[in-house]
Amino acid sequence: MEIVRPTTLDDALAARDALPGADLLAGGTDLMVEVNFHHREPEHVIALRRVSEIAGWEGRRIGAGVTWTRMEKGPLRALAQLSRTVGSPQIRNAGTIGGNIGTASPAGDGLPYLAALDAEIEVASAGRGVRRLRWDEFLVGVKQTALRPDEIIIAAILPEVMPVAEEFAKVGVRNAMVISTVSACVMRMPDSTWRIALGSVAPTVIRARRAEELLGTTAAPRGSLLAEVADAVAAEVRPITDHRATEAYRRHASGVLVRRLVGRCAA
Amino acid sequence: MEVAFKLNDEDRVVECAPHESLRTVLRREGMMSVRYGSDTGETGAAAVLVDRRLVSADVILAAQVGGHAVMTVEALNTGPDLHLIQSAFAATGAMQSGYSTPAMILGALALIERNPDPGEAEIRDMLTGILDRETAYVKPVEAIRRAAAVMRGEHPEPFGPLIVPPLTDGTHPAVLDPDDPPPAGPPSVPRLVPSKDVPDMAVVGKPEVKVDAVKLAKGNPAFTDDIEMRGMLHAKVLYSPHAHARIVGIDDSDAVALEGVHAVLHYKNTARIKYASGGQSYPNPHPHDQVSFDDKVRYVGDRVAAVAAETVEIAEEALSRIRVTYEVLPAVYDERETLLPGAPVVHDEPDTSHIHDRERNIVHHIAARRGDVEAALAGADHVYEQTFRVHQVQQCPIEPHISIAWLDSDERLVVRTATQVPFHTRRMLAPLVEREIKDIRVMKPRIGGGFGAKQEMLIEDIVGHLAIATRRPVRYELTREEEFVSSRTRHPQTITYRTGVSADGTLVAQDMRVIGNTGAYGTHGYTVQTITGLRGLTSYNAPHKRFTCDVVYTNIPVPGAYRGYGAPQGEYALEAHMEDIALDLGMDPIEFRRKNWVKVGDEMDIAPHLGERAVAEEELEEYPKVMSNGIEECVAQGARAIGWHRRNDPAWREPADRPHIRRGLGFAFCMHGTAIPFLDMGGCSIKINDDGTFNVLIGATDLGTGADTVLGQIAAEVLGVPLEDIRIYSSDTDVTPFDTGAYASSTTFISGTAVKLAADEVADRIKDRAAKMLDVDDPTSIDLGKRMAWAKDGSSVSLQDVALHSLHLEDQEQIMGTASYVSPESPPPFAAQFVELEVDVETGQVTVTKLVMAVDCGVAINPITASGQVEGGMLQALGYGHCEEMVLDDEGRTVNPRFGPYWIYRSDDTPETEVYLVQTMEDSGPFGAKAVAEIPKDGVAPAMRNAILNATGVAINDIPFTPERVWHALNG
Ligand SMILES: Cc1cc2nc3c(=O)[nH]c(=O)nc-3n(C[C@H](O)[C@H](O)[C@H](O)COP(=O)(O)OP(=O)(O)OC[C@H]3O[C@@H](n4cnc5c(N)ncnc54)[C@H](O)[C@@H]3O)c2cc1C
Ligand code: FES
Repeated sequence: MEIVRPTTLDDALAARDALPGADLLAGGTDLMVEVNFHHREPEHVIALRRVSEIAGWEGRRIGAGVTWTRMEKGPLRALAQLSRTVGSPQIRNAGTIGGNIGTASPAGDGLPYLAALDAEIEVASAGRGVRRLRWDEFLVGVKQTALRPDEIIIAAILPEVMPVAEEFAKVGVRNAMVISTVSACVMRMPDSTWRIALGSVAPTVIRARRAEELLGTTAAPRGSLLAEVADAVAAEVRPITDHRATEAYRRHASGVLVRRLVGRCAA
Repeated sequence: MEVAFKLNDEDRVVECAPHESLRTVLRREGMMSVRYGSDTGETGAAAVLVDRRLVSADVILAAQVGGHAVMTVEALNTGPDLHLIQSAFAATGAMQSGYSTPAMILGALALIERNPDPGEAEIRDMLTGILDRETAYVKPVEAIRRAAAVMRGEHPEPFGPLIVPPLTDGTHPAVLDPDDPPPAGPPSVPRLVPSKDVPDMAVVGKPEVKVDAVKLAKGNPAFTDDIEMRGMLHAKVLYSPHAHARIVGIDDSDAVALEGVHAVLHYKNTARIKYASGGQSYPNPHPHDQVSFDDKVRYVGDRVAAVAAETVEIAEEALSRIRVTYEVLPAVYDERETLLPGAPVVHDEPDTSHIHDRERNIVHHIAARRGDVEAALAGADHVYEQTFRVHQVQQCPIEPHISIAWLDSDERLVVRTATQVPFHTRRMLAPLVEREIKDIRVMKPRIGGGFGAKQEMLIEDIVGHLAIATRRPVRYELTREEEFVSSRTRHPQTITYRTGVSADGTLVAQDMRVIGNTGAYGTHGYTVQTITGLRGLTSYNAPHKRFTCDVVYTNIPVPGAYRGYGAPQGEYALEAHMEDIALDLGMDPIEFRRKNWVKVGDEMDIAPHLGERAVAEEELEEYPKVMSNGIEECVAQGARAIGWHRRNDPAWREPADRPHIRRGLGFAFCMHGTAIPFLDMGGCSIKINDDGTFNVLIGATDLGTGADTVLGQIAAEVLGVPLEDIRIYSSDTDVTPFDTGAYASSTTFISGTAVKLAADEVADRIKDRAAKMLDVDDPTSIDLGKRMAWAKDGSSVSLQDVALHSLHLEDQEQIMGTASYVSPESPPPFAAQFVELEVDVETGQVTVTKLVMAVDCGVAINPITASGQVEGGMLQALGYGHCEEMVLDDEGRTVNPRFGPYWIYRSDDTPETEVYLVQTMEDSGPFGAKAVAEIPKDGVAPAMRNAILNATGVAINDIPFTPERVWHALNG
């Protein structure tokens, strides 16, 4: 294994070109677990920590190298909420949004936020330059992305229009913050439409479109509508049974979680 | 490749491989405070500061820190003094094993730099990634708060117990006034309820700082892995991928041929010598159903072969080159299914004897009784029958098993190992490596937690064989995954109670039937299950009792000893069962128990009929009796602390502003043992030094419990010196006296009595000489105190002068004493466990908000370490009841052998805890002490279950109370 440590994006992209098959390394909190377990034995690693172009966060543009610790203290409410639930301070000091997107785990905690916002992922390569993909064009399967071998994730691009209310929560086995059995992000937009995204309940993060439709532009949904939304979410998610929870429980918990978050976002 | 970075303010350029983690490189650079807990960054034992921020050194490449500043706790160790944060950890008893303390101290340092006045939530958040299996984070949080205060220039009060006046006369229940609030004080401070029967002492009963505090706070090299041996090889073990299979062939030629490989061992080249790995007294209980390497594997994770090589990587590569041909056999995991006709026979090898019924996988059949249960049940007004299932969990010491073996200059085999049982290990290892006991030396350094997992001769034979085969030092450390799967766990059981009760609520008969799952091997199977029976049938008086148990083989990872040793299972079922009976009878659950629980003078009637020295009722002359019992005071203090009156208050139980929440309170009565009578033995020898201080050599093994400190306090009390004048050394089979080891809640009671007896002997000889020096006729009139020997007339001579006199001046002699102790008694500690919780009735999620345990452990020799035992024990017990669970798939593979998916409590979700130490005077214990280490494991799961019942009206019989299980129960 060899490590390259470029300091500019151009150098990083050049290295990417020169070393096809090299693994990109940001905080290392996902990659190193795989290396330590010998699930991955990279020949070449391109470490991105020093690449200044991806380290910044300006307005709607969150650089791939931005850590959870920064997002935890940032201005976006649900993003801060979810950042706080990631791992532990050690992990949040090292782990990045770019790494979370790169890993593309169905349980990746940053992803429901990006999905709810219809955020775009900006990627670049030396040969083809920059392109942007919507989150659902980028996240194509369990731990599978549309990233090409010569590309690097540069940033997550948030939309112009941001929600007026946003909430994130997880259901775990205890009070706090283990890898969740279900996670959800709910947003109410300025035009009173709703966005609902869920993690850990399908091969990729998903949007609960049917529930969003049911809510329409009801700014303060109540009673039977809330119950219908919960049922719709429970029906829409595609969870599996594993040692953390059964499919049936995950469906139920998804519905309850979304219903509560909608309640919190209501006008 | 070369990496240049600042390490503790010095520029360093280190040579490392690109894939190496920062932990690996820092340890190689001598930073032994950076410790292994896992490969995934989940334990935090390897957390360090990079640019003053906490990061996990095991999930960051060394190459990533080039140009950055790395700090380990060694940076603080510039002189003999402790840094303020280190001092605060020492003063508050925040270190038990101390394995992860350096990481906590670094985290605290960075936190306080950013915020000089951090709140509790912030401190807890900082600690979330540093798992601690011992302190429940209570005292670390307090330590950090106090450190921050001192660093701000404040002067917090010295840390010590809060004295709480008793609420009862010790015998009768208290009548509590709901308006009378419990005493106020931080949760980390033990509430000490003194007894008038206990005299005040100079050192015993005082909140002394632990004797090993400095080395732990500084992160000094003290643990097994913290030595470097020239030419050391690394071992790796090939584990079975099959739950049950015969090894038809094994081809190691490619592995042997690999450069850097020095030995490959397996059944073909290792002697077949039978043994049982449980660390128990001679003769080890049958069956002896293990061999170092077998031609059959019985669970996923069973040993197949071992390799010693120049590096871990080469050893791993060698494992992948061993070709094993298996004949896969059907497997069975459930203790009920293994009894069914047609189930695979787990131990069909002819050379294992003493299996009770081999064809049905029954290793042991245990039967004990007093009276005639069936007749009594037939005549009872009410008969209740209830079945419970308890699951498999792992001990999770943050330091996994690790052993290093070598041949010394006399060619004796030396094993430095993380063990609770060095003497048992030496004796059990000898036949396996075909050496005599005299040619083996076992050393136990500091241990990073054990909880029973290390009451086992688990890997010492592997390093022993390999060191002998290669004539080089060999190190073997389990990975976290291996620790989960291939070490030891808690026995799953199916428990059925039948209880006969008369109309007024008096128990007339109790019948307990258990199927105990001992997995692939017997090890502790017999003894653990007897403790389930003992603890399940001793708490309450009933004239007729019976215990019937089948201990069965299956193909699950091997259960063994785990703190509590069968009691948590038995008392879970018992306290759930008693709760339901009380409610059915319309009685108050505590009142019903009180009517029946054992009181002073009552017989512990099933005890003599169980265990390795069992006798039948007809042969028994006398039953042992309860001689001290502080349960009434415990119940009163605990009930007040938890606000017990609220359990019937609908306004509290159903908070109006949170419609999906129900609150509840639960209680469990706990009773444990103190050591195994007639079996557990501890030895001690003490000698005086020139300056009037003492060396105390003990065989007892402190695995973080504070045993060294408590034993030192006992010696100091007798010898009239401060604790700092006692130098404790434990344990090394070449140097220290014998001790059965750290288990069965025995150390304070057994080893403590040995220390007291040895110290008494030394004191007598000091007095003889002092009498001569002071010209006093009667040496027994001399008193020791304040480092002096005092005559009745007030004249005195210092212990230093006594020492110099005896060693150099006149009638020279070494003043020393040696003693050992085995007890005919096992005086039970008692406790009242209370749990407060909330149930989210929509999701089934249970949030435990408060744990209160009031425990009668006799006289707590050190209230700080005793309360630390209770806090940590309760949190482990909460994990057992709530969220910890080893999950096997259909093939018998453990699917969650990591702290991510195996949930142990973290600092940020730990409930508030309060500990009451209710003093009683137990005459059989040293200075009145009974045990405290295991009883905190007994009551949390049942009290939690009873609180869920109080909150929701739903009784759940199987643990753990995961959201899904609770949700299903609520939805009928
Ligand atoms: C103890 C622990 C707890 C954790 N808890 C959580 C949790 O609660 N929630 C959660 O969501 N995650 C959790 N994780 C996973 C992990 O921390 C996150 O996914 C994190 O965001 C990964 O970021 P990183 O910078 O460390 O990624 P890295 O490990 O550096 O990289 C991850 C992957 O992304 C790729 N990659 C990184 N940067 C780029 C880029 N710029 N362009 C293209 N590809 C890139 C890498 O090649 C790699 O495949 C946890 C991990 C650990 C070890
Ligand atoms: S920092 Fe080691 S497991 Fe963690």
